[in-house]
Amino acid sequence: MAQSNPPFMSGVPELLLLRLLDQSEMYGYQLVRSIRAATGEAISLGEGVIYPVLHSLERNGSLKSKRMAVSGRTRVYYSLTGKGRQRLGKLQDDWRRIQGGIANALEVPSHA
Amino acid sequence: MHELDLSRLQSELLRSGVAPRHVRRTVDELNDHYEDLVEQALSEGLDNRSARSGAMAMLGELEDIAQAVRAQPELRSWAFRFPRVAAVVYPLTFVMLLPAAPVFIGAAHANYLARWAVCLFLSGVVTAAMFLMLQMAITLT
Repeated sequence: MAQSNPPFMSGVPELLLLRLLDQSEMYGYQLVRSIRAATGEAISLGEGVIYPVLHSLERNGSLKSKRMAVSGRTRVYYSLTGKGRQRLGKLQDDWRRIQGGIANALEVPSHA
Repeated sequence: MHELDLSRLQSELLRSGVAPRHVRRTVDELNDHYEDLVEQALSEGLDNRSARSGAMAMLGELEDIAQAVRAQPELRSWAFRFPRVAAVVYPLTFVMLLPAAPVFIGAAHANYLARWAVCLFLSGVVTAAMFLMLQMAITLT
């Protein structure tokens, strides 16, 4: 089975989904493939867990969805809303701040 | 087992208070995702059995998916999010709708009612015709 995420990964799928959907609308399977490609396979999700995140983002107005019939199958395409763009901006700022803080902490020589 | 069976996930989510429409949608999208994974694996030359077991592994543990759904409170039905409100609203609605129950039941069984109405009408016509003939027979004799 796919490896589950360690606890510090919480919030990362949301950030990645919003970032990818800011570029173009996609359905779940496409999104998972794009996450892998965009992160150089560094982030490996149990693929099914993205759906609750997508549904929750849609419920809070960050995403909207539409059903489209493609090759005899109905796909649910997700795209970003204005509120989602604001949320993405905030999450990116938060992430950069944390990333900077951790990078600083890692650069400081540890006291033996 | 190499076939995806989401019925257990479905009932577990419903039991934990996730709104039925979110449960249906999650299950539908997981099924589609699984079929995409199988197609991809088959196109890479894997046999059907390996493709399906690989797709299930990629999709992840169903318990992890259930936990991810339960972790999103927005996806719960409102009766689970606001149990005290539901405890007041449900009985009140039930009491208010009770007098209208015959109308709803009638609407639900409209076909039977229509058939009964036609039968009653036809039997009325036959009875009226018989009374008319009887009346005419009395008048003419």
